[in-house]
This record gives sequence, structure tokens and C-alpha cells, in this order.
Amino acid sequence: MSHTANRDRRIAAVFLIPAIVVLFATTIYPMLYALWLSFRNYDLAKPFIPRIFVGLANYAEVLTSKAFFHALITTFKLMAMTLSAQLVLGVGIALLVSQKLPGMALARTLLLIPMMISPVIVGLVWLFLYFPELGYLNYFLGLVGIGPVPWISSTQWALTAIAIGDIWQWTPFIMMGTAAALQSLSPEPYEAARIDGNSRWDVFRYVTLPQLKPVLVSLLFLRAIDAFKIYDIIFVLTKGGPADATEVISLYIYRQSFTFWRMGVGAAASFVSLIIISVLITLFFKQMQRGQAARAR
Amino acid sequence: MMQWKKTMWAAGAVLAMTGAAWAQDKPFAGVELKMLGIGDTSVTRVAPIVGEFEQATGIKVHIDQLPYPGLIDKIIVEASSDSPTYQLLWVDSPWVGMLGEAGALEDLTSRAKRDAAEIGLDDIIPIQLQENTWQGKLLAFPASGMVWSTNYRKDLFENPEEAAAFKAKYGYDLAPAKTWAQYRDIAEFFTRKKGEKLAGEVLDKDFYGTAQAYSRVQGAITHDYFPIMRAFGGDYWDPKTGLCAMTGEPHIKAAEFMKSLIPFNPPDYLGLMWDLRTGYMERGEDAISSYWSVRTVRLTNPAEAKVAEKGLVVGYAPSPTVDGNPQPTYTGALSFAINSKATDKEKEAAWVFIKWATSEKLMRRFAEEGQGVSQFRKSILSDPALQAKYPYYKVLLESQKNARRRIFHPFYQAVEENFGVELSKYMAGETATAKEALETACNAVNSQLSIFPVEQRLRWINDVPAEVLAK
Amino acid sequence: MSSVTLRKVVKRYGQVEVVHGIDLSVEEGEFVVLLGPSGCGKTTTLRMVAGLEDISAGQLEIAGRVVNDVAPKDRQIAMVFQNYALYPHMTVRQNMEFALKPQKLAANEVSARIAEAARILGLEPLLARKPAQLSGGQRQRVAMARAMVRTPKVFLFDEPLSNLDAKLRTQVRVEIAKLHRRLGTTVLYVTHDQVEAMTLADKIVIMKDGHIEQVGSPEEVFAKPRNLFVATFIGSPAMNLLPAKVAVVNGAPVLVANGFRLAAPPSIVSALDPGASVTLGIRPSDIRVDEAGDYEAVVEVDEYLGTEVLLNLRAGNHELVAQVPAAARPAPDRQSVRIGFDAARLHVFDTQSGEAIR
Repeated sequence: MSHTANRDRRIAAVFLIPAIVVLFATTIYPMLYALWLSFRNYDLAKPFIPRIFVGLANYAEVLTSKAFFHALITTFKLMAMTLSAQLVLGVGIALLVSQKLPGMALARTLLLIPMMISPVIVGLVWLFLYFPELGYLNYFLGLVGIGPVPWISSTQWALTAIAIGDIWQWTPFIMMGTAAALQSLSPEPYEAARIDGNSRWDVFRYVTLPQLKPVLVSLLFLRAIDAFKIYDIIFVLTKGGPADATEVISLYIYRQSFTFWRMGVGAAASFVSLIIISVLITLFFKQMQRGQAARAR
Repeated sequence: MMQWKKTMWAAGAVLAMTGAAWAQDKPFAGVELKMLGIGDTSVTRVAPIVGEFEQATGIKVHIDQLPYPGLIDKIIVEASSDSPTYQLLWVDSPWVGMLGEAGALEDLTSRAKRDAAEIGLDDIIPIQLQENTWQGKLLAFPASGMVWSTNYRKDLFENPEEAAAFKAKYGYDLAPAKTWAQYRDIAEFFTRKKGEKLAGEVLDKDFYGTAQAYSRVQGAITHDYFPIMRAFGGDYWDPKTGLCAMTGEPHIKAAEFMKSLIPFNPPDYLGLMWDLRTGYMERGEDAISSYWSVRTVRLTNPAEAKVAEKGLVVGYAPSPTVDGNPQPTYTGALSFAINSKATDKEKEAAWVFIKWATSEKLMRRFAEEGQGVSQFRKSILSDPALQAKYPYYKVLLESQKNARRRIFHPFYQAVEENFGVELSKYMAGETATAKEALETACNAVNSQLSIFPVEQRLRWINDVPAEVLAK
Repeated sequence: MSSVTLRKVVKRYGQVEVVHGIDLSVEEGEFVVLLGPSGCGKTTTLRMVAGLEDISAGQLEIAGRVVNDVAPKDRQIAMVFQNYALYPHMTVRQNMEFALKPQKLAANEVSARIAEAARILGLEPLLARKPAQLSGGQRQRVAMARAMVRTPKVFLFDEPLSNLDAKLRTQVRVEIAKLHRRLGTTVLYVTHDQVEAMTLADKIVIMKDGHIEQVGSPEEVFAKPRNLFVATFIGSPAMNLLPAKVAVVNGAPVLVANGFRLAAPPSIVSALDPGASVTLGIRPSDIRVDEAGDYEAVVEVDEYLGTEVLLNLRAGNHELVAQVPAAARPAPDRQSVRIGFDAARLHVFDTQSGEAIR
């Protein structure tokens, strides 16, 4: 019997090998390589610079860099803008398309389209809209006597412009998740509230929202992780500019690694930001869960 | 050895082409070359006719055209690969230090000397060859020769009403700016709001005095700043230490001057890249604008610039100076280079292509067909018929008699990027003073440079005369 | 407290009419049960009274006021739902508070009402719990408490007991009865369970296919079913039905049903047409089983229920169910018994129309 068990285990191991190999090759090895890199001086463009072990120097440089913290703050600013707007709009649109009105099923499908487009294409779409002289947005604003607004070329507007693009693309994600959650809510409490005469706002605030909360927390969690990694749309629209108005953490890392070719500094910045985001997101969601558990008690 | 190898190639080619009798005339027939290039006039003219080259030589050339931002990143990745995809590389002259120090580019000196007569080496404006050298070695061959020059709306300047109004306001005659102060006056004078009059006609949209590049992307702002900085008497490096020296009085004045032009720029000035800023002149939407001549050439091509189509007249002049006296012209070169990691046969084939693509014959043909190229051959630039057709030829030819090459340091990217971001922040008002912005950028560059011994740093800033030019 | 009156109330969904102009009046303080099989329109009717469904035609009055176009919240009603409809994330107390919120009462009034309802329904120890932490019976009591605190003029119950198991159902049923007695509020109550209807109702409204079949007290609908549907729907076990013909023997009508010859109930003698086809209805409890019986019947199965026994009998080609006290259970070895019928307790229906002959 133990013979059979041993054989089963061996067979299982054989079947696991491909998965382990793929995991190692695509995730673990690059991570370890990046970690190794983060302790070295490694300039891809200048092979004449010795590629030596530099201890924590790269980390020290990142942690004392104004630009790094500026990028971190910009990332969180952008995250705050996009997540709050996506939450409000996503839930609002979900409530709207969940109404039994003609055309809502079609609307629900059409509204998902932005989400399915590659972020680079989304960037290009907004580039056409934002172009100062030739863009559609300023054309229409011009018709009502506003502008031209230098959307992506003023430090005042650029981050908002990026946020609008991201909101446009990812609001459907919140909407879809919320609409699915809404469908799973039983209708009777709503009839009870109707008979009792609770206002629509109260029903939303005290009946719908609390029931959606677990779903919304999960959706926001996923969006927060994505928002921290935002790159493509910024790369297409502003490349971190104007000045440093849209320089987020991923742009900072990109510049260190592929403009200055200081791969070690870029790797160190990646790890520092990974730790920061992990800690902050964990704390935030722990707090939310604790809040929820407290209410459940 | 060389001879033996050539015989082997020929034999291989014969085998490949199953007994083609003309293998002897086309020693590189069957070779395929890929070029990592840019989608700008230095490449777009030649790219459509590489079929003719293949017909003549049997060498197949495929050119990938990428936008300038990010192109150098791809070239560096390509250069660090042991089995490169691209044998031909498009090179902007400030990159030669970085690529040269990394050993990424093939030294073309001996080939150029060997084929001096064929390529008309003496016909090429010397500074254009110097632009492509690193430590005296010729690492790339000019395909477009650039100067930083001024483009202005001649029709507006010649409008009597405007001229009179200008004179009344500024006390001197309206003419192409000789000094940067005049440049600013002209930009200010021609900045008009929608509804105001320009040359007697009511504007249906805003008209801008100038359009400068203030974008940080790929250091675009530095390309506008450095010519001004040099005109103000500033230099890049401290000749004693080899460190960044761009924090002095002229540097600060130049940055402040550039900031003073903002009110006469379009509202999106912080987003203006080369293509966007030159677009204003190409559409006839600004009055005066200095930029690289490689984009000036578009102004005479109706397919590329509406200004020609609209019947508006553009005039050309050398870039202004501080005191109105001639100063060394700010030059650059857009060139073709050979990847040092290519095989010997590919390198030879690539050299054949470079010779063809930069030949006087082809350059003259482009000129005659009406496609503007920022020419680098004296014979073409001095041709009276062509000068009449392309008025900027005169500027190109004359201004390069007194010229000094552009930055060429191995840490050019660190300079371009750090100054790009910091100057842009200063222009956006995020950094209070030009001094602070320049110091931040210089410190960032120096933090990377200071680890190297001073001899090495001095070697990096030393412009060794091109061996290929030695008699 | 208030009366509810329906006049020719119709409900249509598009082209399909599901409630066909019903008339009903519920007196102040009355407990009225809408009873019928599923799909009979009873719930739709209740929801029209609640205002959750529009009334397609006809008129609805509550407390003498036409409320067809009055919003549910302004009808002064409260409703208890089949699956309780509690707010799952709120405590018992919060559920009640939320129901009271629109009334904008003073805080002490709110807590007084909640305390009162909790006391009456025994919810005091559960006020801080959430619905998920309650049993089905407790949840239904919370639902009732939530309806109660609003002090409505009419209570509407939509099959409130059908999600509960049999034992709880009896328990909560009694609580509903007690509650009604205590509050005296008008109640409109929907169920498909005749026991609930019989035990709770002052007045039962039996519905079928969107029509009202009969309205009456439990005793009336049991003793005097107006038609075959009501006769078979009410009473458990169901009434025995025998096809029969009206014959005349010695000048008196006799009901002949394949082997049985039964005297007609005296009250309807004059209404019987000789030769007519009728259906005889005999409640199982109305079959006499004793030696004096007129007919022989074979006992096929007997079902012992404790206090009584159900005898499944075959007499000729009739199959009958008789209900007798346990004491009268035939000896286990008895193959057959004698049975008899009481003419006064026979129900006679016109076979064609199904209507009771009176």
C-alpha cells in the first residue's frame, strides 16, 4: 500500500513539474534576478562602468530621492482621483443599467467596451481627444466658448486628464461587478422599504450600499493594485510630463532603468515601492474588514 | 585574409543564386539588412526607394521607422545584444559618445578614406563629419546635416502696416532677429488674440509669436535650451574637471530668457515636442521659430506643410545671437551607422548601402524631385538653381562656416533627461529659480560622473579632430 | 384600523388578465384570509392592496378613501413577506428603526414602540442580533414586529408561514392569532394552506383562476360550500364525491348512485329535478360506520392517526374515505364494515355547473 502511495506521489510530482518550471521561469527567477540586480551597479548602456556589488547604495539613493517620493505621491493622488470617481460612477451606472428599462441590456454590454481595449489604444484615443489645437475635446469646448484647455500639456490639468482616461476605461469594471452584485440582492427588502416609505436615498444608503460593500471592497482592492502599476496610458499621453506632473512610480522606475540605464537603481525602486504598496494596501483593507466585522458583531 | 573571405562570400552568393553570372558585380547579393531608423526626413526620403538599391546591388534593406522618443533606448538594447537584429542604426550625433564608448558602432574611418573619391568626402561640410566622431573616429555617416536656424513668416515681416507698427513700437526695423532680444520683441509683437487683426485680416483663432519646445519628453526642451545657452556664452562642461558646468550666469540667463518667451507661445507649450512645435510654423500659426533644419525642409513641401499651400511665405535666417555678431553655429547630424556586432559581410554590405543612401547623386535627386532634405554637401547647397528653390540652402551653407559641434558626451542621456525634467519644471513654475533647476540637474549628472577619474572625464569632453579629415 | 373595499378590481399583465374584477369588503378589525391554490391571483390581489402592483381596472378603498393612485407608503398599511424581507446587514432593532425612519418620530417614541413590539413578540433578547443569527420563526416574528411598530391601519400578510417547518408554523400561527386579538387591526392574509385559513380567519375568501369562489366564515365555507371547488378544497381529508341521478320513488326524490339509494336532504327536495345528473358530496366525518349501516363496505386500508382513524373503503365500485374516532376502529381482522349516510349532511351539486343545489 505504501508502495502505491509512493508511486502516486511520484506521478503527482511529475505532473507538477511543468507548472513549477513555468512559475519559476516567469515569476520567481525574474524576481530573484531583480533582487540581485538591486544590489549592483548595472548600466546597460555603458558597459565600461564596472558592474559591481554596491550593497544598499541603490536603496539609499531611492529612499533619499525627492523624485522618488514625488512619484509616489503622484501615484497616490492619481489613485485617489481614479478610484473615488470609478466607485461613484461605477455604482451609479450599475444602478441605472439595473433598472428594468428598454435598452439597458444593450447599454450594459456597450459600456463594457472601454475595459476590453488595450490601455495603449485607450491612451491614443484620449490623445486624439486631448490634442490642444486639433483635439475633439477642445473643439467641442470651443463651440460653447471655452478653451482651448491644454489638457495634457499643463501641470494643472495633466494628472486630471490621465485620471479621466483611466476612469473612462475602468469604471465599467466597477459597474460590471456592482451590477452582478445588485442582481443577487433579493427584491423583498426593497418592497418592504417601499411600503414603509423609506426615501430612495435612504434605501440606497442603508439597504443597497451595505449589502454591496463586500463586493465593492474587493473591486477597489483590484483597482488599487492596478492603479499603482498604471503606466501605458501615461506613457502614451504625457510620458510623465509636463514637468513632473504625471510622473508616477512606474514611470520613475522606467526612467531609472531604461533612460538612465541604471538597472540596479530601477530594481531597488521596484522593491521599495512593492513594499510600500503592500503595507499600505494591507493596512487599508484590514481596516475596512475590521470595520465590517465590528458592524457584524 | 580579407581577400580569402571575400572569395568565400562570393562563392556563397553564387551557390545561393544558382549560377548567376553577375555575381561578380554584386558581391553582396542576397544579404539582408535591417535598419533601426526614425520616421523623419533623414529616413523618410530614402525609405521608399530601397528597392532601387536592391536592384542595383542585390542587397535587401528593410527600414523600421520609429518615433524619436524611445528610439535611443531601443538602439542601446540592440547594441547590448550579441546577436543583433539590426545591422544598420540611425544615429543622432549626440549619441556617438555613448555608443562609441560602449563600442557599439563600427569605425568607418578606414572605409571612408578608402572610398574618399567615391563618396566625395571633400564635398561634405567638415563639421558634419566631425559631428559623427568619437575620439577622432568616424562612427557614423551624415544622412542629414543640421543647423539650428530661424524660420519666420516673411509675408508678415514684409507687410507695410505690420512693419510700420513694429517700428513705432520698438524703434527699429522689423527684420529677421539678429539677437535673442529682437526675437523676443518679434514674438511679443505678433502674439494676437482671436478677433484682432494680423496683416489687415481679422483672426478667427489665436496667433502665436513663437512656438518653442518646452516638453520634457526625451529632453525636447533641452534641444531648444542648448542653442540659446550656447549663444548666451554658456558651455556644457568645466574644462578643468570634466564635470557639468551648466549653472553659471549665461546658463541662468538663457533659461530665464526662454521662460520670458512663454507668454508668446501656444497654451500647450509644456507639451510641445519638435513635431508639435514645428507644426505651428508648418500651418502658418506662428511668426518666428528657431529649430533644427531637418524640420525646416518640410516647409517647402506642400505635402508636409500647409503654409506652402496657403501661399504664405516663409523666410530663413541664421539663429540669433546675444550681441548680433556671428557666433559658432549650433550644429547636429542625423546619420547612418553600422552595428559593431554585425558580421563582417553584413558590415561591408551596410557600408555599400550608406554610400548609396548618402551619395551626391541621390541627394541631388531628392533636391530635384522637390523633397526637402537638410543637405550636407557643399556642391548641392551652393547650386544657384537649388538655392532659388530651397532658400534655406544659403543659410545651411553659410552658417556652417563658423560652427561648433553639439554635445557628444557618453552621459548625454543623463544630461538630456535631467535637464529636460528640471528645466520643464522651472518653466512650469514648479521650481522657483533657474539657478535651482540647473543646479539640481547638474548635481544629478555629476553624481554619476564624479566616480570616474578626472583624466577619463576630460577625455570624454575632448573633441578630437576627425581622423578622416586629416590630410 | 380600517376597512378595505375592492370594487371590480382587475389585474392585467399586457394582454393576460389574471384577476377578473373581484369584489371584496374587509370590515374594520376583521381578519380576512385569501385562500386558494397557487396561481389563483390571491397574492396579486394582496400586492394590489399594498400598492406594489398597479390596479388595471376597478377601485380600491382603504378606510373609505380611494387609493388606486396612492403610493404604498401613504396607504397606512404594513406588510409581512413570505421570506421575511429583513435587511440582512441590520440588527433586529435597526430593522425596526429603519421601518420607522420615514415617520420621523421622536427618539423616545421609537424606542418605546420597539420595546413594546419586542415585548409582545418575545424579541427582547434578540434586538442586537442580525437576521442571519436568527431561526426562521424568530425572523418571521421580527418581520411582524417591524410591521407592527409602524401602527398601520391594515396588516397585509403574504404566506408568512410557508417557509417554516410544520411545528413552527403552528406556533407562529397562534402568535399571529394572539397578535390580532391584542391589536384588533384589520388583517388581509394570503395563504394556500386551508388549516391556516380555518384557524385564523374571521372570513375566508376562496379564490380560483382570478375569481372569488366563495366568501364566508370558516364554518360557512366548510358546512355550506357553494360549489364543488370549494367543497373539495376545504376539509381534510377531502370530501367524497359520487356521481348520481335524481330518481323519484313514491313521489319523493331519491339520489341513486350506483348501488346506493339515498334520501335527498329535506331542505333541497323541491330544488331537485327528476332525472338530473348530480354529484353527491359526503365529508369523511359524515359517514356513519356501525352495524346499523345500510351498506356493506370493504376496508382496504386503515390509517391510524391517534385520535381518529381514516378508513379507505370500497363499496360496490365506489371508493370512499371515512373518518371515525379511534375508539370506533374496526377490529384488525374485520374485512368489511357497515356504513350509513345522514340525508341532512349530504351535499348535492349540479354536475354540469358544479354549483351546490340549495
